[in-house]
Amino acid sequence: MEASRWLRVVALASVLVLGMAACGEGEPAQPEAEQGATIIHGTTDPWQSFDPAGSYDLPSWNIIQNVMETLVTIEPGGDTPVPQLAESCDYDDPQTYTCTLRQGVTFHDGSAFGADDVKFSFDRNIGIEDPEGASSLLASLEEVEVVDDSTVTFHLGAADSTWPFILTTAAAAIVPSDTYSETEVQSDQNVIGTGRYSVAEFRPGEQLVLEAYEDYWGDPPANSRVIVQLFDQSSALKLAVEQGEVDIAYRNLTATEIEDLRGQEGLEVIEGNGTEIRYLVFNVEEEPFDELAVRKAIAMTIDRQAIAENVYNGTVEPLYSMNPVGLAGHIDAFADEYGETPDVEGATQVLEDAGLDVPLDLEIWWTPSHYGDLSADEYTEIQRSLEESGLFNVTLESTEWDAYTEAAFTGQYPAYQLGWFPDYPDADNYLASFYSSDTFLANGYSNREVDDLIATEKASTDQAERVAAFEEIQRIAAEDVPIVPIWQGAQVAAVREGITGVEETFDPSFVFRYWLVGKAA
Amino acid sequence: MARQTTSLRKYALTRLALALPIVLLLLTMVFLLMRVAPGDPISAALGGRLPAEELERRREAAGYDRPLVVQYVEYLGDVATGDFGTTVSDNRPVMNLIAQNGAATLELTLTAMVLAVLVGVGVGLVSGRFRDTPLDFGGRLFGIVIYAAPIFFLGFLGQLIFGKYLGWLPTSGRASPVVSFELDTPTNLFVLDAIIAGDWSALGDILRHLILPATTLGLVIGGVFTRLVRVNVLQTLQGDYVEAARARGLPERNVVFRHAFKNALVPVVTVMGLQFALLLSGAVLTEQTFNWPGLGSELIRYLDNRDYIAVQGIITFVALVVVAISVLIDFVNAWVDPRVRY
Repeated sequence: MEASRWLRVVALASVLVLGMAACGEGEPAQPEAEQGATIIHGTTDPWQSFDPAGSYDLPSWNIIQNVMETLVTIEPGGDTPVPQLAESCDYDDPQTYTCTLRQGVTFHDGSAFGADDVKFSFDRNIGIEDPEGASSLLASLEEVEVVDDSTVTFHLGAADSTWPFILTTAAAAIVPSDTYSETEVQSDQNVIGTGRYSVAEFRPGEQLVLEAYEDYWGDPPANSRVIVQLFDQSSALKLAVEQGEVDIAYRNLTATEIEDLRGQEGLEVIEGNGTEIRYLVFNVEEEPFDELAVRKAIAMTIDRQAIAENVYNGTVEPLYSMNPVGLAGHIDAFADEYGETPDVEGATQVLEDAGLDVPLDLEIWWTPSHYGDLSADEYTEIQRSLEESGLFNVTLESTEWDAYTEAAFTGQYPAYQLGWFPDYPDADNYLASFYSSDTFLANGYSNREVDDLIATEKASTDQAERVAAFEEIQRIAAEDVPIVPIWQGAQVAAVREGITGVEETFDPSFVFRYWLVGKAA
Repeated sequence: MARQTTSLRKYALTRLALALPIVLLLLTMVFLLMRVAPGDPISAALGGRLPAEELERRREAAGYDRPLVVQYVEYLGDVATGDFGTTVSDNRPVMNLIAQNGAATLELTLTAMVLAVLVGVGVGLVSGRFRDTPLDFGGRLFGIVIYAAPIFFLGFLGQLIFGKYLGWLPTSGRASPVVSFELDTPTNLFVLDAIIAGDWSALGDILRHLILPATTLGLVIGGVFTRLVRVNVLQTLQGDYVEAARARGLPERNVVFRHAFKNALVPVVTVMGLQFALLLSGAVLTEQTFNWPGLGSELIRYLDNRDYIAVQGIITFVALVVVAISVLIDFVNAWVDPRVRY
């Protein structure tokens, strides 16, 4: 009797709970766009800082690009800088770049944007020199001169054709001089810019809410609010988008999760141009990688197609140059030099010609968390293809990111995994960064011809001349093989039915422009 | 009666006095453990990314170049005044973090404890009362399986069944993103905040989000209660006073409910205190599984960032909470069972 009464209570409670659950279901989507829509973006990417002087990571830069603005920007689908907070910008000479500023622009706190803010923003970034920041990108800047209220001139230490591109990065975002500290990184609870969105709330490690800025000088965004919800695990993010808790799941669903979501009712998987790459770096001063023949044989043996298909379920493409597909000057230099598929015979011949005894022992390092869970499978696949050739015995070693970078960038690893997102969508960012003699990779690679070509492309504002230099750098690098490019990843998002505009923002600049994203009512 | 009150007060004072060295021992252990790890907090968080001189300047500014004893005394003083420091990785006062994320953990653990007691005690009572029947067998099986199952396994199972396949319940977060932004949260306890605001639709949303994580965590602890209560019921049902009650001709229902069950529940109070520590550690796993923004999630995030100040602050706070609850449970136990005081 008592038990049956208890059962009735449980049954009643279950009905109430289910009733509440049913109340939460949404209405069917209507074809027309919803005015003042709230877009919910789920991600597993944590933010470092929303201060341009305190961050050099993709998630933070993405928020900065939505909340703040730069003098010039890359428009959706574009590949050249166009004015944003500037009305116009141009070189006076190869070392002097002048911008005329837009008038009538205000920051979110109501203060007016002006030339002093521009000078302040660059000076503080360089002055703070935060270890997590990107002040290194502004290395060619010698001085920002305020010519008058609406004109600034950048004096560069050397001719630098990439300067307009650097001005498009979040490191060059403009902050108000009367609110931000000149010497300290700004708190994430007080983020101010001139962008389309202001920060309405930030709960660290949890949620960021952006609201459309009413006094924005340009066209209003396609939504009135964006909530960015942070997830610890991609599996939780996947469930959230399946259940409609979030509208967009963008970064970082695994390849398996994306495959599982593809074709599900009410969901769409959107893929777009992406310039994220992965590569294997050789320390050319360490045995056996100091032998060019060994590096060439590895480049000929690694099975990129197998990695793309077996490990990443076709969500990435094999890469045959450090300058990815989609950027000016790209050529498939490695495919031209060594072929697209593994050439074990050719590799055997190269090693034989060099008089090397096989199998050769290789030690390759990779890092387990930083580039996602699939790194383990990727490097197992690399090990498999190299060992299957009979030419190599591979020992894989791994360690977590902090210790990893400390050792890798001080030349302690003979060969190691690395990845790259663009600072700006220009081949210089992919070639000069890795092949110049003073590269951060610390892999001992130096080629005077490559250094000269880098100097040429940096000094030239003639795009044809730059492209020729880029192509030649790629050809030489494919012959020298200090690095083997592995794959290039597309940008992938899973979105709920009725979400629009995500395709438009997927381009090589890697900026997720929330203002383009709308929602059917 | 007067003698009893005096005795309880004396017991409480003694227990409080004994808690102080425990707290001191705990704080010392936390401090030493954090220092046993290589380097100081600044070097751990920023080492390798700052020039050596800048690293040294920051170490000096934070006082990590001073003798360990001086740092220890300062740490004790800070904790005594409620100052747990500021995180190295994102410059956030640890007390803010505790207020915001601690409330999420509190909401989860309290609900889980209530569920654990309700389910665990309920099943244990039924199991004990109907010994060696299918009900008892079912109850015992439930207790063992639930206790033995890892939290994340139960969590994933719940997510798959009730979230993915049935679509009844949300599987992550404390509330829908819009609700957690729009709801005014003066206490950071969302259930309470929704009630204060009179926002019943938000309350429904919050409760729906609470069901799976709280049930997952609660069931695991509930397994312990089930086994304990069952054994106690079996023992008390064989007690002399129960036999005496039966001999007096009292109806069996009265014998069981008024005499046996009440006494069988006394040890549950003691175990509840011990289980609270388990509950807090279980919360770390539950929070990870359900994307619950509590102290456990933050602890893992700051461990990843090698932010020792944040980790030290969170561990210190959790340790203090466990001691406080243990003392509280002892008080309750002494009040319920006078034998404890002697």
